[in-house]
Amino acid sequence: MGAQDLAFYYLGFAMILSGLFTVFSRNPVHALLSLLVLVVHQAFMLYLLGSEFLSAVQIIVYAGAVVVLFLFVVYLINLQKEARFRVFVRRFSLGLIFFILFAFLFIKYFVLIFSMSTSIRTLLPIDPTSSQALKMMARYLFTEYLFQFELIGVILLVVVLGTVFLLRKAKEERLG
Amino acid sequence: MVDLNSYIYLSLILFMIGLFGFIFRRNLIILLACVEIMLNALIILFASISYFRKDATGYILVFFIIAMAAAEAAVGLTLAVALYKKLKKVYTEEINLFRG
Repeated sequence: MGAQDLAFYYLGFAMILSGLFTVFSRNPVHALLSLLVLVVHQAFMLYLLGSEFLSAVQIIVYAGAVVVLFLFVVYLINLQKEARFRVFVRRFSLGLIFFILFAFLFIKYFVLIFSMSTSIRTLLPIDPTSSQALKMMARYLFTEYLFQFELIGVILLVVVLGTVFLLRKAKEERLG
Repeated sequence: MVDLNSYIYLSLILFMIGLFGFIFRRNLIILLACVEIMLNALIILFASISYFRKDATGYILVFFIIAMAAAEAAVGLTLAVALYKKLKKVYTEEINLFRG
């Protein structure tokens, strides 16, 4: 067993464990801190999968922005009183039906990915281990996926405007 | 030996954990955190397929997924805060504006 296999097993085990802590933890702050653990392990797994650029983006965007945003909202909404009530929904059987339905669908599509043979042709060839990989990825991003890249920029602009608009509207309604 | 199937199994397990939390948790903020877990599972899936097939499409999709996840978290948390300011509730069972 090589070092890469060992790293995969450690990272996978830690990610599953911290994911379970996130779902089953009673205190929202504890849940979000285990989500942070999961995100950092995921960044190392992206490094293992040959892309140090995506690893850095994962740390900056997820650990630096998204989880901190979640924690800010938890501090904004004070939940200390309600933290001792139950964690899961009361209508368990209804949720179980939907869970089994969705799980069946997703397992079906994951099995489809398992059976995906190597006969599919490669669209954008890259060698993840070479030093030119990031250069190749940037070239593909700005040629093949240029329209989608610009679209992401527009979506982020809309998100900024929508966030400001929604919170300002809620504030005015509360005052008036 | 770790191959593509191991990564797909890990992705499937993480996705199921996120789906379980998304359906069964009551807290609206933890619900959004569970969506993030599911998106992380998809990131593993795309990056591992891209690594083992030497195809850059998966890496670029991971880039887009991370950008979309940031946008989704911002909008979702904004809606949660707006809902809390209006109703003083963050539990999904207690938000019943349409009850007759």
